[in-house]
Amino acid sequence: MEFTLLWSALTGVTALYGSLWWMGRRDTSLCVRDLWEIAITAGVVALATGRIVAMVRIGVNPFAHPGELLLVRAGVDTVGATVGAVAATAWLARADLREQLDGLGPAALFGLAGWHGGCLFRDACLGTPSSLPWAWAQPGSDITRHPVELYAAVLMAVAAWLLFRLRLRYPVPGLVAALALAAAGGARLITEPFRPSLFAGPVWWYGAALVGGIAIAVWAAVHPAATDTTDEVPPLL
Amino acid sequence: MRRIVIPLVFAVVAAGCASGGDVGDVPLLPEISPVELQELLTDAERPVVVNVWASWCIPCRSEAPLLRAAHESFGSQVDFIGLNVRDAQGPARAFLNEFALDRFAHFFDPSGAAQGSLGAGGVPLTLFYAPGGDLVELHYGVIDDRALALNLDEIVRRGS
Repeated sequence: MEFTLLWSALTGVTALYGSLWWMGRRDTSLCVRDLWEIAITAGVVALATGRIVAMVRIGVNPFAHPGELLLVRAGVDTVGATVGAVAATAWLARADLREQLDGLGPAALFGLAGWHGGCLFRDACLGTPSSLPWAWAQPGSDITRHPVELYAAVLMAVAAWLLFRLRLRYPVPGLVAALALAAAGGARLITEPFRPSLFAGPVWWYGAALVGGIAIAVWAAVHPAATDTTDEVPPLL
Repeated sequence: MRRIVIPLVFAVVAAGCASGGDVGDVPLLPEISPVELQELLTDAERPVVVNVWASWCIPCRSEAPLLRAAHESFGSQVDFIGLNVRDAQGPARAFLNEFALDRFAHFFDPSGAAQGSLGAGGVPLTLFYAPGGDLVELHYGVIDDRALALNLDEIVRRGS
């Protein structure tokens, strides 16, 4: 049995919690405990829905083979996981949706960056061949390849950092969450051509996240919800 | 009560609709000895993927559709070999029929001796060989889309 995927999951969860803790120290309006519970629950729901959809897509009946739900290594469908995560988050944060989503957005991106960066623990970073100076090869091979998972990790971490700063500077409810969605889709869209796969990845889905996120961000900026903006805006970090 | 009963009934009905073990047109799997398997690998002029599986192995079910897709994509460049271990002919043939995996060669290894000659135990197991039988990658456990595509690309490039 291989448990290297658990290391990636642990890296992602640590990045998520670390970023929430760090953001909570710089922005006292964030309720870190609530956001942590929402994020972890949404993550578990995403894993379950993504795995169920992946099983159905390859023709395995989840009711007839429930044990296979635990075989996360065999594949988790991105679309199913995203829908599950968004639905769970929307339900759990319904009392204060925009504010909580804005708090979760950058942290979720950090968590995803940690998940992708966790490829280092399971020797699963490489993608299509490349002769770029930072490309490296599999053990015993002289075919150097793009470290595609690290590209995704870096893009998402940078986006998370920028969005956290944006949230402090322009606290428009819903704006940061929408841009986080766009950033997640954009990072996957950019890196998809470097990712080895037997199937064409759900590029349309990443594109939809990018376009939809930007559209919602514009809408949020144009139609800000009633919010108390009399507080002093915290300084940029 | 209704909230519990309806999903339960649905689950039981769905489970009842599962495959009943039909072997279809899948022929008996030829038995292979350790020596024959090694000869097959060393004589190969193309890259080879060996997947070690069993019908009773739950993770093997999950990776079977991936292997079928991999064969469809790389079958013209790579030889695929299935090695059925510690199994019986009936369930093994039903497994191949269920997942339409009989499009490439599968061999029967009821004692696991041929698998032993590969130098690794357990199922599932996927081995990637360059032409001539040089082992490039040994993947323990269920394989995912990324690892399968990456290692197929690796052995195709090494073989060209």
